[in-house]
This record gives sequence, structure tokens and C-alpha cells, in this order.
Amino acid sequence: MNTKLLSLNEATRTVNSGSNKVALLDNINIQVYEGEFISLMGPSGSGKSTLLNCIGMLDNFTGGGYTFLGEPVHSMKEKNRSKLYKEYIGFVFQAYHLIDELTVWENIETPLLYKSIKSSERKALVADMLDRFNIVGKKDLFPQQLSGGQQQLVGIARALIGKPKLILADEPTGNLNSKQSTEIMELFSQLNKEGVTIIQATHSEKNASYGSRIVNLLDGKIVPE
Amino acid sequence: MIRKHFKIGIRNILKNKGFFGLNVGGLIIGLTSVILISLWVHSELSYNKELSNYNNIASVMQNRTFAGEIDTNIGQAMQLAPVLRNEYGNHFKHVVTSTRSSDFEITYNENIVIANGRFTEPDITHLLDLEMIDGSRAALEDISSVLISESTAKSIFGDDNPIGETLKLNSVLDMKVAGVYKDLPKNSSFNKLNFIAPFERLKTSQKYDERLGWGNRWFQVFTQLENNSSISNVSALIKDVAKNSNPEDSGDPQLFLFPISKWHLYSEFKNGVSVGGKIESVTVFSIIGIFILLLACINFINLTTANALKRGKEVGVRKTLGSSRKQLIFQFFTESFMLILFSFCIALTLAFIILPQFNTITLKEVTVPFDKFSFWLASLSLIIITAILSSLYPSVYLSSFKPVKALKGVNDNTKSPLVLRKTLIITQFVISSVLIIGTLTIVSQINHVKDRPIGFDKDLLVSVPINNSRVLQGFESIKNELLESIHIDQVTASDVRVTGTYTTNGGFDWKGKDPNFEEEFYTIRATHGFGKMVDWEILEGRDFSREFASDSLAFLINETAAKYMNLENPIGEFVNWGGDETYKIIGVVKDMVTLSPFDPIVPTLYVLHHGDYLNYVNIKLASNTGNVETAIGKIESVFKKYNPENLFTYRFLDDEYQENFETEKRTAKLVGIFSIVAIFISCLGVLGLSIYMAIQRKKEIGIRKVLGASVKSIWQLLSKQFVILVAISLLISMPIGYYFSSQWLMEYSYRINLNFWIFVLAGGITIGITLITVSFQAIKAAIANPVDSLKTE
Repeated sequence: MNTKLLSLNEATRTVNSGSNKVALLDNINIQVYEGEFISLMGPSGSGKSTLLNCIGMLDNFTGGGYTFLGEPVHSMKEKNRSKLYKEYIGFVFQAYHLIDELTVWENIETPLLYKSIKSSERKALVADMLDRFNIVGKKDLFPQQLSGGQQQLVGIARALIGKPKLILADEPTGNLNSKQSTEIMELFSQLNKEGVTIIQATHSEKNASYGSRIVNLLDGKIVPE
Repeated sequence: MIRKHFKIGIRNILKNKGFFGLNVGGLIIGLTSVILISLWVHSELSYNKELSNYNNIASVMQNRTFAGEIDTNIGQAMQLAPVLRNEYGNHFKHVVTSTRSSDFEITYNENIVIANGRFTEPDITHLLDLEMIDGSRAALEDISSVLISESTAKSIFGDDNPIGETLKLNSVLDMKVAGVYKDLPKNSSFNKLNFIAPFERLKTSQKYDERLGWGNRWFQVFTQLENNSSISNVSALIKDVAKNSNPEDSGDPQLFLFPISKWHLYSEFKNGVSVGGKIESVTVFSIIGIFILLLACINFINLTTANALKRGKEVGVRKTLGSSRKQLIFQFFTESFMLILFSFCIALTLAFIILPQFNTITLKEVTVPFDKFSFWLASLSLIIITAILSSLYPSVYLSSFKPVKALKGVNDNTKSPLVLRKTLIITQFVISSVLIIGTLTIVSQINHVKDRPIGFDKDLLVSVPINNSRVLQGFESIKNELLESIHIDQVTASDVRVTGTYTTNGGFDWKGKDPNFEEEFYTIRATHGFGKMVDWEILEGRDFSREFASDSLAFLINETAAKYMNLENPIGEFVNWGGDETYKIIGVVKDMVTLSPFDPIVPTLYVLHHGDYLNYVNIKLASNTGNVETAIGKIESVFKKYNPENLFTYRFLDDEYQENFETEKRTAKLVGIFSIVAIFISCLGVLGLSIYMAIQRKKEIGIRKVLGASVKSIWQLLSKQFVILVAISLLISMPIGYYFSSQWLMEYSYRINLNFWIFVLAGGITIGITLITVSFQAIKAAIANPVDSLKTE
């Protein structure tokens, strides 16, 4: 059995809407082991994105426990938490979220800058990544000069450059046509086989089927199987 | 990392050229103004500081009481310096009597140059620490010698050796050049000192010892204190020296030392107390400079935070990629710093280019001290202050976005920056409209004074100085010869120009005078026909007339003098002058503006005079003379005939009168320019914000148009906000503007009442300019096709 990557124990996320408390996530219990490929499914507003954001530590649970690699994230200081996700988590977004002012190369390189990795090493890592994704020829282009699929490839490359244990992908193919979607999903599948844990949020049953496990969400709750 | 930030910064600029154009444009204009103002302020504050004895030099001043008012003057008797040297010598290194600085004609080999100089005691050379290029300081001990400045030597002798050559001063005194000194610093009270001649020479040739007593306060006394003496202590010691030396003096003279550090900036006295002077302009322009810098920084803040919409996503992405807030602050700060550095370089270049024009307005010779370390230090401080003022808040604000929200798109309506932005816009417009109110006040005050009835006709009046006794003796012949010309109407002579009297007299007595009243009258001595020439208006009595020989002992007085003397029926009253002569008042003249038109009318006595006191020949050109040049040519030829030695100079009294307005016009120009700069910078900011507002509300505007909104209603919708902000700032700026304007006007006794229309006009200008600025964008947004704007959403 693989080691446990993270576990959520009655994790809750509430927001105040006027005088009412609204639960976006309600008593979520989930264990994720290394090497899993989980697909979060559910209609719009069911809490998929919120769950991904909270797991990715961009957002915080307001209640319950969150343990990542044995460490209690919920009681961690901001600084340590940021260290943790810089080290272990990579994000892929539906809208790619590349920085428009940066070239492909620079976009991929950016996470390394924040990890204070030396210039020569950065060059090697980025070059590897470009090579692996077959986008060496595009390295000096800006995001607007690429197709959606290519932009998402860069997005994934950027997520992978820091060698994360966990990739969080929020509808990674939402803006792509079906051919591009298939390519991206094949890539995820390939990465998963190489040992990267992936959690993706998706509407598409076809995409969900690439995963090893499907978690259904409805109104902030996990729908029991 | 910095290199990366730099690169991204450049790309950002290239991508948002318009935005950065506005941002940097405002900053460049602001910084240019600040650099110019700082250079000027620095030059004013460092006036005289280049003199090596700056810390120890002081002039002796004298407070005297006239009619209950204390008058402060630099004039001293020539007997003062010896007393100070003999009795208080241990406090002074040097005490020097000097004539006032004035222009002389210097003749060498038939060539005449005008040079400014003083007759002083020899110690002046040590006091000013003259750097001798040729000859020695001690040469001034020889009373036939003269020291000249390097530039004067150059202009008279070219490259020849001047030592030992003889110069003729005002075609009377022969003086031998015994030394050449390096020109004194331009930025100092002695900047014009072209030559220094021995006081002893003047004293002997003019027989001052026989003629002048303590009452003839014609000179200045400069002192250099011992290092351990303090100005205030020595002032207290010498306070009564003049009074004790001349017990008959009824003016209660009080002496004090006035340090050189105050000569330039604190030269105005009221009732014996220093009340400032140029320092007020220095303060005003420093404040304007700070305000303009503030305006530019506000633009920067507003435009940068408005741009958050665009940068928000980047912040979100970077944060998810692991950037800490500190790193983001650093990134944004670096970008801003770059922009500011860039703007500063351009601003410095611009300032360098504009400086000559600026100097012609300020009448200074300011240069950019590129070679001074302190200049670069000051520049660096300016850059850092600007950077902190303008980019600290935006950096902190931009980096504060929560990544999840930022990725969804920053909603710019978060309250705090919006409120801040509005407050800042209000601040900008308060500053701009206060400056506009100031400009309007100054301009209308100038116009008001220009329209002041001056009580005489200065048109076509030419005055020629009498600088030679031959002119005086030949006056009647000169006059007759001039009158032969059809271009010349009338000729008279007087002791002062009617546009600028300066002679005052005391020692009068009349019936009903309060014995304790220390009177002081301005006196104008003139030949027959003077009144007719200036076309004065006789209110009572009559003008001087050749028919009455007794008129040589008669006064005409002005209205103010009649009131001053408290005479109900002045005609026929007798006035005793100096104890031995009694004059009869034969007429009252309507008040004429014989000093600055900004000043009140002074009590004036007109006396008939045909003797030595006459200093000017006044010539009225014929009103039908089409050719002023021919007339002047005629005058010149007549004067050259009677006085071939002296340069022929003349002035139109009209020009002389206009010079009264120079200072105010200069101030108006400067304040005007800077208020245009201020309003321009503010408008750049408003333009930028309206662009962003239009982008932000693009969808709303599209929907409204689909629903049937007219272009006009959308224009109103977008402009309203700004007009409200400007209206609020006008409400705030009016009392402030009122306060400063009325403070400024207090300086003038002849002044406007602050009129309502000034504020209405200032408000109209501000709102008008804002509306035009905003409308560009508002109308563009309003006429856009709604299909396009909705599609992009």
C-alpha cells in the first residue's frame, strides 16, 4: 500500500452571506494516497473548485482537520504552509493562467525562482521540461501566440517543473476542444503512471474515467457511493 | 531577480503604452517642475554663502522714529565707522565705510563703459577676502588707486595689462589701476562690484570733512566680527552710538547689526522689526514644489491601483506558483522605481533645457550643478522620496490580493482603494484650484493697479539724467535748442523722476503742528512748467508762475500732505523749513502716484528750484510727433553738444512706470505656469481613471445601450462622478484660496477686494477642464457599439 498523501477529516468551509452562514464544503472526509488519480465530479456550485483550492492551500478550511504528509495543515502558520505547497503541490487551471508578459520559457521557470534555485539548474530543468512536452520551438513565444491546447501544455509544464507530489487540476480541459482534451488527459494519465498524484475537477465523464477513483460532490457534501 | 523584474517591467510598459504614457508623463512634468523649483530655492537659500567670511559679516542698520513709525535704513554717517573702531574695536575684525553701490562712467582712451562700484575704506578687501589676480589688496591704501574686477579688466583692456593704466571716473576723477581681483560670486550681494575705489579719495575731493555731519546718512557700514563675538551682543553694545554721538538728533536712532545671512531673504522691516522679504517667495514656491510632487505621486498611485484589474491575475498566478507577498511587493516596487528613475532622467534633461527660459523669468543665473556631490545626493533623495510616496501603497495593495479571488478577476470596487482614490483626486483638485485662485488674484491685482489713476500724464515723457555740471549750467540753452524742434513740446528739469521720488525731508513747522509730530515729507524740486508738463490737476490755489518772484519761497502740496498737516484751508498758510526759511502754500495738487503704484500716496511738497539739486531734464515730445526716434536723435545731439564727455542715456517715464510691475508680473507668471502644470497633472490622472472606469463599466454601458440609453445619458453617467469630486474639492479649496490670496494682498495698500467672480471663475475653469478630460473617454465609451462590448465579456 502506498503512503497516505493527505487526509481530510470532517473538513468544512463556510462563508458568511449576510447574517447566514453558508457551508460551501460540509464535513468532507477523504483520504488520498500517493499515486492516486482522483476525479472530483459534480454540478456547478457543488464545491469542486473550493475543495481543490482548500487542498491546494490557496484557501483554508474553516473547520475540521487537514493533514498533508502527516503534518496538520489546519494548525500551521502561513509561512510553513506556503513552504509546504511550494514544495509539493502544482496547479493546473481551466483558464491556464499563464502570465501574459512572460514567454513560455519564463512562465515555466517562474516557480523555480520562488524556490531560489540557481540559474544554471533552472536552465537545465526548463530545457528538460520543454523537451519532454515537445515545445522547445515555442519557448520564446508569449501565451497569446499559442493555441489553447499549447497554453495548457505550458500550464502543466509549469505545474510539473517543481517536481510536485500532487497536481491539482481545476477543469483542465474546460476551454479545449475534444482533440486537445484527449491529448491533455493522456498526458495526465502518463504522469500518473510515472508516480504523480493527481486530483482533477471535471464535468466530463469521459475525462473522469481516466482517473482511478471518482468522488462525487453535491451541495458541498460527498455523495456516498 | 531584479533583472527579471526589470525585464517584466519593460514588457509591461511596452504593452500598456497609453497607461504608462499618462503615468510617466505626469511624473516627468512634476519632477521637472520640482527640479527647477529646487534649484531656484537652493540658489536663494545659499545667497552670499560663497563669501568666505559669510559667518562674520554684518551691516550696521539704523532704526529711526518718524511720526510714531519706526523706519529701518542702512544709511549711516561717515563718522560712525571710526567710533566703532575706536571704542568697540575688540569686537570687530574690520569696520568699513562704503558708499552705496552705484553706476559710474569709466573712460579709458575715449571709450566709455558703465561700471558699478563703491568707494570704500581699504579693509573691504579683507572683509570680502578678495582674491587678487594682479596687484595687492594693500594697493587700495593709495588714494589715487582703484581695484577692478577681472571681468571689468577684460571689458576695458581686453588682454592687455591694466596695471598702472589711468581710468577717468564720471569724467572727473583720474584713478590708477593698482589691482585686479577675481569677480565676486554671482549669487551674492556684491555680484556687481566692478571696481573698488578708496573712500578717502571721495572724501577729499568732495570735502566731506567740512560738509557732512551725523545727519548725512549717505553711507553704508560693513563689519566683520571677531570669531568670538555674537551679532546680538555687539548689536546691544552699539545700539546708542549714533544717539550719543549726536544728541540733537530727534529721530531716536538705534543701531543694530544685520548679518549677511539675512540681507537677501529678510530685507523688509516694519516698525523696526524684520518681517521677511524674499523668504516669503521661497516658502511659497517650496510649498508649490512639494504640492506638485504630491500631485505627480497621487497620479502614480491612482493609475497604478486602477491598473490592479490587469495586474490582479498576475498576482494570483504568482502567488499560486509560490511567490511570497514580500517578493511581490519587491517586484512591484522595482517596477515603479524603474519608472521613476526613468522619469527623473528625462525630467533632469528637460529641466536643463528649460533652465535658461526659467532664469529669464526668475532673473537668476541658476545652473544645474552636475559637478557637485550634494546635487546627486539631493537627486537621489528626490527619487527615493518619490518612489516611497508613489509606489509603496500600490505595491502593498497589489500584493495583498487573495490568490483565489485574484484569479477570478479583481473586483476593483473594493472599498478602501476606491475611497483612497477619490480622496486623492479631491486633494489634487484642491491643490490645483488653490493655485488657480492664486493666479487669478495676482493677475487681477496687477490689472487693478495698472488701471489706477496716477494723476499725471506720463506719455511721451523722456528724462535724461544730468550727470555733469555743464548740463546744469547750460540748461536754459539746452532747453531753448530742444524747443526749436517740432518734435519737442516742453522741457523742464527736476531733482527726481516723477515716476520714482525718493528724496524726503524733515524739519518743517506750521501753524497747529503738534510739537511731538516727527514729520517726513517727500519733496520734488522742479523748474517752472513742471506741473503743466506732467499735466497735474490743481484742486485749489494756483501753479507756480514766473509772474510771482515770491514763488521761490512757495509750496504746492498734494492732497495727502494737506491731510497729513491737518490743514483745512491750506492755501495761504506758511510753513517754516529748517528754521530760516518760510514758505507759503499756494496750491493743492491732486494726488499723483510718484512711488510704486502698489504703495499708498505719500505727503509731497513741490518746490520751485533752478539750482544744483536738479538731476534730470524732462522732455515732453510733441503729441503729434510721428517719429519718436527723430526726436530722441535730436535730444541726443543737443546733449552731446553741451556734454561730449558723458554717455547719453534716457528713459521713457512710461517704461519706468511699467517696471513697478515687474516683480508682480514675474510672480504671476511663475504661479500661473505652476498652476497650469498642476491642473495638467491632475487632468492626466483623471483621464487615466476615466479610461479605467470605462473599461470596467464596458458591460454595464453595453447593457444600458441595448436597453435604450442615449449617448448623452451615458456621458452624464460617466462624468457625474468626477464632477462631484471636483465640486467637493472646490468647496474645500475656496476658503484656503481665500486665505492665501488675502494674505498676499495684505502686502499692498492699494489692492482689490477679493471678488466673488475670482472663485466662480476658478471653479468654472476647474470643472470645465475636468469635464473636457472625462468626456473624451465617456463619449468614446458611450458611442461604442454595444454588441462589441457585450461580446468580449
